[in-house]
Amino acid sequence: MPPRLLAPLLLAGAVALAAAPASTPTFETDVAPLFERKCTVCHGASMTQGKLDLRTKAALLAGGKSGPGVVVGNSSASLLLDKVVSGTMPPGDDHLSSDEIDLLRLWIDKGAPDNQAELAGGTGAAEGPLTEHEILPIIQIRCVACHGKRKQEAGLDLRTVAGRLQGGKSGPAIIPGDPDGSLMIQKIVSGEMPPPELQLKYSVRPMTEVELNKVRRWIAEGAMEGPPREKLAVDLENDPLVQDEDRQFWSFLPPKRPSVPKVRDQKPVRNPVDAFLLARLEAKNLSYSAEAEKVALMRRAYLDLIGMPPTPKEVSEYLRDTRADAYDRLVDRLLDSPHYGERWARHWLDLAGHSDSEGFGQHDRPRTFAWRYRDYVVRSLNTDKPYNQFLMEQIAGDELAEYDGQEPTQKLIDRLAATGFLRTAADPTDAPERGFIAERMNIIADEVQILTSSVMGLTVGCARCHDHKYDPIPQRDYYRFSAILQTSYDPYDWLPPGDRELKVALAEETRAAREVNEPLREEVSRLETDLAREEEPYRERLLEERLEALPSAVRNDLRKLSKTPQAERDEVQQYLAREFRETLEISSAELAKRYPDLKAVADPIQKAIAAAKRDMKEEPHVRVLVDTGGDPSPAYLLKRGDPLNPGEIVDPGTPSVIKVGLEPYQVEKPWPGANSSGRRLALARWLTQPNHPLTARVLVNQLWMRHFGRGIVASPSNFGRSGMAPSHPELLDWLATEFVASGWSIKKMHRLIMTSAAYRQTSHADEATLAADPDNILLTRMPLRRMDAEEIYDSVLRVSGRLDPALFGPPSELEVKDNKEVVAKPTGKGYRRSLYVTQRAQTPLTLLEAFDLPKMTPNCIERGSSTVSTQALQMLNGSDVWQHSRYMAGRIIDEVGVDAGEQVDALFLRAFSRKPTAQEKQDSLEGLEEFARLWPARLEKDQESAPTVWTARWLALASLCHTVLNSAEFSFID
Amino acid sequence: MSRPKPQAAPSRRDFFSRIADGLHGAALASILGADLFQGAPLRASEGGGQVFDLSPKPTHFPAKAKAVIHLFMNGGPSQVDLFDPKPALEKFAGDIPSRDLTTDVSSPEQLGGLLPAPYKFRKHGQCGMDVADVMPHFAQHVDDVALVRSMYGEHFNHEPALFLIHTGRTIASRPSLGAWVAYGLGSENQNLPAYVVLDDPKGLPINGISNWQSAYLPPVYQGTRFRSEGPPVLNLESRPEWPTPLAEAERRLLAKLDAGHLAARPHQPNLEGRISSYELAARMQLAAGDALDVSAESERTREAYGLNDPLTASYGKRCLMARRLVERGVRFVQLYIESQIWDAHSELEKSLAYSCGKTDKPVSALLTDLKQRGLLDSTLVVWGGEFGRLPLAQAADNADRAGRDHGPSGFSVWMAGGGVKGGTIYGSTDELGHKAVENRVSVHDFHATILHQLGMNHRDLFIERHGLKERLTDQFPARVVEEILA
Repeated sequence: MPPRLLAPLLLAGAVALAAAPASTPTFETDVAPLFERKCTVCHGASMTQGKLDLRTKAALLAGGKSGPGVVVGNSSASLLLDKVVSGTMPPGDDHLSSDEIDLLRLWIDKGAPDNQAELAGGTGAAEGPLTEHEILPIIQIRCVACHGKRKQEAGLDLRTVAGRLQGGKSGPAIIPGDPDGSLMIQKIVSGEMPPPELQLKYSVRPMTEVELNKVRRWIAEGAMEGPPREKLAVDLENDPLVQDEDRQFWSFLPPKRPSVPKVRDQKPVRNPVDAFLLARLEAKNLSYSAEAEKVALMRRAYLDLIGMPPTPKEVSEYLRDTRADAYDRLVDRLLDSPHYGERWARHWLDLAGHSDSEGFGQHDRPRTFAWRYRDYVVRSLNTDKPYNQFLMEQIAGDELAEYDGQEPTQKLIDRLAATGFLRTAADPTDAPERGFIAERMNIIADEVQILTSSVMGLTVGCARCHDHKYDPIPQRDYYRFSAILQTSYDPYDWLPPGDRELKVALAEETRAAREVNEPLREEVSRLETDLAREEEPYRERLLEERLEALPSAVRNDLRKLSKTPQAERDEVQQYLAREFRETLEISSAELAKRYPDLKAVADPIQKAIAAAKRDMKEEPHVRVLVDTGGDPSPAYLLKRGDPLNPGEIVDPGTPSVIKVGLEPYQVEKPWPGANSSGRRLALARWLTQPNHPLTARVLVNQLWMRHFGRGIVASPSNFGRSGMAPSHPELLDWLATEFVASGWSIKKMHRLIMTSAAYRQTSHADEATLAADPDNILLTRMPLRRMDAEEIYDSVLRVSGRLDPALFGPPSELEVKDNKEVVAKPTGKGYRRSLYVTQRAQTPLTLLEAFDLPKMTPNCIERGSSTVSTQALQMLNGSDVWQHSRYMAGRIIDEVGVDAGEQVDALFLRAFSRKPTAQEKQDSLEGLEEFARLWPARLEKDQESAPTVWTARWLALASLCHTVLNSAEFSFID
Repeated sequence: MSRPKPQAAPSRRDFFSRIADGLHGAALASILGADLFQGAPLRASEGGGQVFDLSPKPTHFPAKAKAVIHLFMNGGPSQVDLFDPKPALEKFAGDIPSRDLTTDVSSPEQLGGLLPAPYKFRKHGQCGMDVADVMPHFAQHVDDVALVRSMYGEHFNHEPALFLIHTGRTIASRPSLGAWVAYGLGSENQNLPAYVVLDDPKGLPINGISNWQSAYLPPVYQGTRFRSEGPPVLNLESRPEWPTPLAEAERRLLAKLDAGHLAARPHQPNLEGRISSYELAARMQLAAGDALDVSAESERTREAYGLNDPLTASYGKRCLMARRLVERGVRFVQLYIESQIWDAHSELEKSLAYSCGKTDKPVSALLTDLKQRGLLDSTLVVWGGEFGRLPLAQAADNADRAGRDHGPSGFSVWMAGGGVKGGTIYGSTDELGHKAVENRVSVHDFHATILHQLGMNHRDLFIERHGLKERLTDQFPARVVEEILA
């Protein structure tokens, strides 16, 4: 039923009834009188209750103690409305009437104009001709998606004066001095622009009335270009917001290398780390606990560095090594292991918030090549890439050198994939209805949070809406920092995630994809030809039916047109094709729906096409963040964080409070002629200055935390005033300076920390030590810790012999079992480490999820470690631990044969890196016997064809393996 | 500050003394006694040593409700067809209203004219609340119900709207309402999770498990899915391929190995907690199984919930389970239904008949049952979806098949029990039922009101994160809708 198109006026009236006054109210004529009647007694000249003054619009916007009174354009988010609607204000019985409330609501929603002048496009307060820079934010939000840098629909680019005057196909967009004669205004007023049918596609909304009037006035005044809107000038020497005394906070000053303290008892000192720790301990008449047993220390080192326990062979070799430096050599061996990079990549990927999908919605769009970033991190750590270089590549890999048109080498791929660091925030904008400016700004905000919390140890999120309450980070600085990313994440010229990929791949990857895809593509094209042939008669039949309804004069033309290939159509035909699109376009779905005979033939073909397409490999590419080049959109300070309320233009910059001893943030073209702004490169350079107050401190604190369970600064993402003070400030600075002096070598830091006597202590705690240092802040012992999710998962694989040790490449796929348990698919050589299993927010590996696998919100700086009974259920009853236990039992029998005593010894060696005690052996043997008695009945019941007694013995040993993998000793690290 | 002061981690001795206390109680609950889910508490990542567990926490002020049953109605139930009659839709049927009604729709190209409600409205109860004839069972409860006709959301798409209604933000990765409640109040029953989700066996709702996530709250507060078919918790039962007493035998050996390990490592609360979590895991099998075992209910009850009718059996079972869980002290029970049963884009009349047919009787039985057992006073029942629907037709091929597109600007939800004022109708939409205009209630107001009934002030329920106080209502203005409270 085509709806009647001409009735709208009637209904528009009906709706208007509910919305009270038809014209837009202003503060001057409507709101101020209302306030005077009801509000200014308390919020006016004589008193300002709650620090709120309602006499001017500016004061209302500034708000009072509870925050701004009004969110322009959004009455439902405005405190003022909230108060009057709820009747909280005015107090007493004299509430506002519903007409008065409607008036306020309408006023706010229409843009809260101060007076007629502002409504008509003025600035409200300071009069004077509008300049381009008052208008540009409006055009940015409403128009440039189609008339901007990447897209010039109808040949029109609205970003510059020249572009507007030159106009597009239909002529100039504006005629200075004549708003109503300007095409731009005409099209907006008529509702033609932005096109209703495209608003969703491009995530754009029409202008508000105030905005439109502003644009009109600007055109009327001559559509002036300048002088430019005043840029927010930041004079660091004379800054009312951030002053030199703010810069004196310890974490904002470069670390100074302290001298290593002298301690009374030199005996326990193995390296300077100990001197710092022992100095504090001696002051309290305390010292370290005894050194851990050799194997306990070995196991700790293995789990810390490679995330898995040693093999029995490694244990026996180590025990045989009686050299004085056997342990130091062990640490070196582990640092050289390729598994080191895997383990520590996991820590870094937590900081980065890495995931194999976009993390939004049901379909949770896969990030098919996100593994390249993961591999880049593994490789970088394994080669001990200097941390400054590691950061440079991740923040600005694309700006380090030209990438366009270069030979696709692994090195190039790594440098580009490194920028995946800034591509991890959940990105819903692949669907246009989730791609509006607010969502775009959220993504940029998440990336800012990831960058600042992981690398800078700063929490800046609150400065998105207002100046930071605790730290000297004004809102201005938040948006200056955000502007660094806005030449790559341009909120006004947005790229959905699928468009942020570079088709760069190794030759063999391209070849492999082609080998799979080309035959499939041929098949698809063959099938499509078949389909078209089958459809042809029906297509003609349907077209004839439709033509019946049209005047006979056009029928022939349309018939002819439908036979003419697109490229050969003349101008008239092209016109007709547009006009009669609905008649001419006939989809396969429509045909199949209409003609059952066709459907019977077409469906199998369609299915085959779909199957072939499904089998195609995604074109290999690199997921990147690159500068979009050209003239960047301006970046604004967003008032109250509202993307529709841009304030002053800001230049990119780093937090003003971090300045002492540093070269300033300085943007330069990365190389002559580069089509890249250099903003991120400048950030990377600024951050990696050797005496940067945060970069090295934050990283060594992270390393320390992951070795000792607690950072020297216990709030690793907050080194500011609201964070925790360092427990050992001098040690932190010594480590930070040592780190830089050692060439930013992360492996050297591991070695330093792990060869300290502090790290080599036992985790056994006696009463006296506990009483003196209950929270272990002074490190009187090593903390006993539970393996984290990945350590448990990977360790089970390793001790059971099921680990596929292959490095790198696309992740293993997931399998969701009938009971919804999520497990990884095997590779044919076993199972890959958890790092190499697809990571998606909706379907985490069940075993990992039980053990506190974090949700990336948007990243994870420090994991929690809970102990709940669902973990026990998963370990005891889940499918994978049992399956691996059976495999483990099989390998033990292969290795030692059927002697139960030797089986128990072998099991303990694999799982605990030690032999059982006499008691444990006796208990285990008894258990084994009991298990062996239980299995036969079940096997007989299941009518197993395998020999019952032998199978029962094997499964009994599997049950023993299962018990041992469930024991506390397996998953706790001494 | 909402949370009690950080406590030291409980030692094993404390732990056993708690079990002992339980043993003095009666019946099953006392045999199960101790804390299953608590285990060893999670160490907070920041702020050093704050303990996160499920022990009951003090409220900010005396609570009206102890528990919440959230009947979440996936897809967006249509206010103008169920709760909010609009004669103008009859009068102007087929007309196209002004442009602002047609912006912000997900499928603008399919918009038609105004579409009248397919079912008649009638006034019910002492209060005279209008209810469409397609919900005859609910109509009998209107005097216990506070209906809000002026809810509004921010987004017309399911994903963001679901995030909003559950977490207060349209974006992913924020803790959901139930997680906040569990965090703020803990649980009355330490053998069951504080926050239980009963999702539809037919499949996960949109946004999947994110709907009940704890995000940056500790994982112990996230919703635990209890499945209404098969074992209620993933891997609650021993491997099916095992001989029956094997699990027992393994547990006995495990206890010996762990006891030896622990004896050599005194003063390690982590290790103690871990061992008790294993001991207690075994008991949950009983507690969860019992809580969800509806076969123990009388035939009359089963009939009342619609368990004997294939149309109502699935949802009826979950409603009945919800009552059993609340009875056992579970704090927050959330029911989901077939991915988007209320998402009536086409065939409005048929679609409503189906969604109401499936839910109306069970929901009514739940209200009756709670009331009869004296549980309604202390249980807040909340019914509603992520948005409402437009007064316009979403045109299908022909008018008979028309449905309605999503409408976030104005929709209806209702609450019952837990201290709400029965027979209340609050707020209104415009003449067409499109936009909430009078006494508008935001999602933040909705959240603040639910927390208020549980004895919590939304401003004071927060967690410190990166030096910030994070709240369910964030920095948004939010107000308790006092007008619907007794």
